[in-house]
Amino acid sequence: METKNIYLPRLAEITDIKQETPDIKTFKLKLSLVYKPGQFVEFSVFGEGEAPFCISNSPTRGPGIECSVKMTGKVTQALHELNIGDTVGIRGPYGNGFPVENLKNKNILFVAGGIGLAPLRSLINYCLDRREDFKSITIVNGARSSNDLVYKDEYPIWEKAKDTRLYLTVDCQEDNWSCMVGVVPRILEQIKPVCQDSVAIVCGPPIMIKYTMPVLLKLGFCPEAIMTTLEMKMKCGMGKCGRCNIGPLYICKDGPVFSYAQVKNYVS
Amino acid sequence: MTKFIKKEDLYKLLNSFLKDFEIIGPKQIANKGIFYEPLESIEDLYLGELFAIEPAKKFFLESSECLFHSGFLDGKATVQDAPLPDKRRIIIGLRPCEAKGLILLDKVFDSEYKDRSYINNREKSVIVGLACAKPDKSCFCTSMDGSPTGSRGMDVLLFAVEDGFIVEIYSDKGKEAFSSLGKEPDEHQNKTLSAYKQKRSELIGKNFKVPGDLSPIFESDYWDKVSFPCLSCGVCTYLCPTCHCFELVDEGRKMYRCNDGCAFSNFTLEASGWNPRPTKKERYRQRVFHKFDYFKKIFGENLCVGCGRCIRHCPVKMDISEIVSNAPSGAGK
Amino acid sequence: MIEELRNKARELLKTKQVEAVIGYQRASDGLSAIPCVIRSEEEAGRLIWDAACVYNLCGYLKDFRAKKLGIVAKACDVRAMIVLISENQLNRDDVFIIGMECCGVVDEKRARVSGRDGSDISSADKCKSCASCVPLAYDCLIKEKREKAKVSEDADKDKYEPVRKLEAKSLSEKSKSWKDEFKRCIRCYACRQVCPMCYCPRCVADQFMPVWFSKAGGIEGNFSWNVARAMHLAGRCIDCGECERACPVGIPLRDINRKIEKDIKELFGYEAGMKTDAKPFLACFDKNDPEDFIK
Repeated sequence: METKNIYLPRLAEITDIKQETPDIKTFKLKLSLVYKPGQFVEFSVFGEGEAPFCISNSPTRGPGIECSVKMTGKVTQALHELNIGDTVGIRGPYGNGFPVENLKNKNILFVAGGIGLAPLRSLINYCLDRREDFKSITIVNGARSSNDLVYKDEYPIWEKAKDTRLYLTVDCQEDNWSCMVGVVPRILEQIKPVCQDSVAIVCGPPIMIKYTMPVLLKLGFCPEAIMTTLEMKMKCGMGKCGRCNIGPLYICKDGPVFSYAQVKNYVS
Repeated sequence: MTKFIKKEDLYKLLNSFLKDFEIIGPKQIANKGIFYEPLESIEDLYLGELFAIEPAKKFFLESSECLFHSGFLDGKATVQDAPLPDKRRIIIGLRPCEAKGLILLDKVFDSEYKDRSYINNREKSVIVGLACAKPDKSCFCTSMDGSPTGSRGMDVLLFAVEDGFIVEIYSDKGKEAFSSLGKEPDEHQNKTLSAYKQKRSELIGKNFKVPGDLSPIFESDYWDKVSFPCLSCGVCTYLCPTCHCFELVDEGRKMYRCNDGCAFSNFTLEASGWNPRPTKKERYRQRVFHKFDYFKKIFGENLCVGCGRCIRHCPVKMDISEIVSNAPSGAGK
Repeated sequence: MIEELRNKARELLKTKQVEAVIGYQRASDGLSAIPCVIRSEEEAGRLIWDAACVYNLCGYLKDFRAKKLGIVAKACDVRAMIVLISENQLNRDDVFIIGMECCGVVDEKRARVSGRDGSDISSADKCKSCASCVPLAYDCLIKEKREKAKVSEDADKDKYEPVRKLEAKSLSEKSKSWKDEFKRCIRCYACRQVCPMCYCPRCVADQFMPVWFSKAGGIEGNFSWNVARAMHLAGRCIDCGECERACPVGIPLRDINRKIEKDIKELFGYEAGMKTDAKPFLACFDKNDPEDFIK
């Protein structure tokens, strides 16, 4: 009996494309998929290649999945040239996803930088859809400039949610900008989120994570209570091709969600 | 089951298999070395002392293989599995280290998320190994829980003795192919075999114990020193019976799995331009740690069979066995 | 010779003329050499010099940008440095060349294929057509005290004889023979990594927008890769033979490069690395060049 081909993707039609920023688009796909917030899929643009993207909409907000893609290389450039109605290949879901059970009855601090808000958006909306399961929600979202902020139309909805605070920040002051100014770690020092009964979830560029971790530790969060999504170049998504191997872990299989305690020895 | 077969009878038997099996074995190519190739004539089969340059791994985990293709039908996109080869194969002449390498690869490719083409290649193959008569001075299989006469991963194992081979058959696949031949070995031949097995391990010059946990010396400048000669080419990776890193590449709407290696400078290069392993120090350290620490922590064994190919064929003679056995203390037992 | 070399290294490090010396030390098999870097006088005892010192060490110079280095170099290695200097990849003032008078190096390839046990040390092919034992440039010369090696009487003839034999074959013979060779290519890029003249930070073979030399299925990518590399080396290859030595599957890479160098020698009278002040040949023009489109 032949084994199923684990590399064969399912076909998915693009049903909507939203330009979030000059170089980030969110693609909505017609695909029924059972997944957890924080998991990712391998996106195949036929004739160009495959790349991993996290699923940025909550599983409570189906049908279909959404992926937000920043144009950086070969596959993403080709993807940005596709139109509504085009078909792509999807493999997955892969990865461990966020441990939602461990977040119940806790205060949740979301810390995002730039496109790092994409995997967090899935979890934020999941928590808001099951609001009673969680205590206070604080979202700190920063970007280089206001042009680089994603999911802007969700901010008013998040701000209005029960016991939910949203802090937006950009690196430098801009005209018509009335929110905070400063890099994310500095903003955390200013707002002093409570660490009691809390979990912090951090997602963003490596440099932001590097400077955010010491701030969270200083604020009293213990390493087990800080979660992050690690990123490395990934190909197979199944722990075989070796690319995302870091220590005795594979980011695609054992992650991409890790607690800071798990990975602090491997990330300098 | 143990038999003795004369060399010419073995060749006759293999000849008779040619119509039903593809026979892959070592072939001597003048001035180049020994290479595993599908044999058109059994006369080309080389069962001597020299080792094949490339291990037989490439017949299981192919160096470039089409996984699926995509296309259009009636204006709609389609995807289709690439067909799997049907022909059964006898792969003869593998050394015990290479067969053990397949067992290690099984842990990656025949576990969660089963790789269908690898598994198909495994199922369709009968592995007829050749015990090593003369290990090379770069061999260190005994330090990797192996042996020049090891049977792990073999369906059948040949021991070259006077005018023939003693054949040990371990599996049903092996029985199916070989049980009809030969005769019971006589007392002299049995004695020769015992002496053979005993003596072979003594011929392995290198002997060392791999440290239990290398993580305490991850930041050591030992890695700067030992990685200096490394050229960041792919010779050690591609010739290794256990290395299996690959990339997935879409060419002309066909998805290929091609072999790849952590030694290459662009292996971990991300689209943003950031590379977590920018210099040969990080990459060589990753090679050593993946083989002798991380893989062991996940699967319980070192990802190395001590075949010595990386040492023999490294363009600058780097010796991973020396590098691991000389690792500074601070590594746990 | 070895003591002279070690003393020189000690002197250079002690007087801080160089920050480090790149040379050879004994490999784990007790016979071969392995490249090493010496940073202190105490370490100088590791340096060795004999027929096992095959490698061209120029490639390690780029690990130490903007630092003054000593380097142990044979005549062929110095030719590579001459080309690198002419291409602005190396500053002459940044290297202290410890020139070694060389009697020839071992044929590692043959030894590996035949199962070397140390007793059979025959000279590498390239040494048979070597025109001079003494490097063209050096800051100090360590002379060979033993009987001098026999220098080829007609280096050109010896060097290009195998190429002439290949040229005499028919097109279909050549095509079949190269296909047989390239089908064994495993794209390990050892030929590129070991070549002193392959210094591009991002090799064309590693680019994927677009993919120039496919690895997927078929021999075409292998053909394109090997031929393209030879073309990129046209007028720059000094026949150090490292590519062929490093190739694990025995592809006769020198034949391709020597063919191109032979053509350039016959057409233009130019040989790479033979004159310390020569400009990169295919990157320059001269007012007396026959073609007039540039005038």
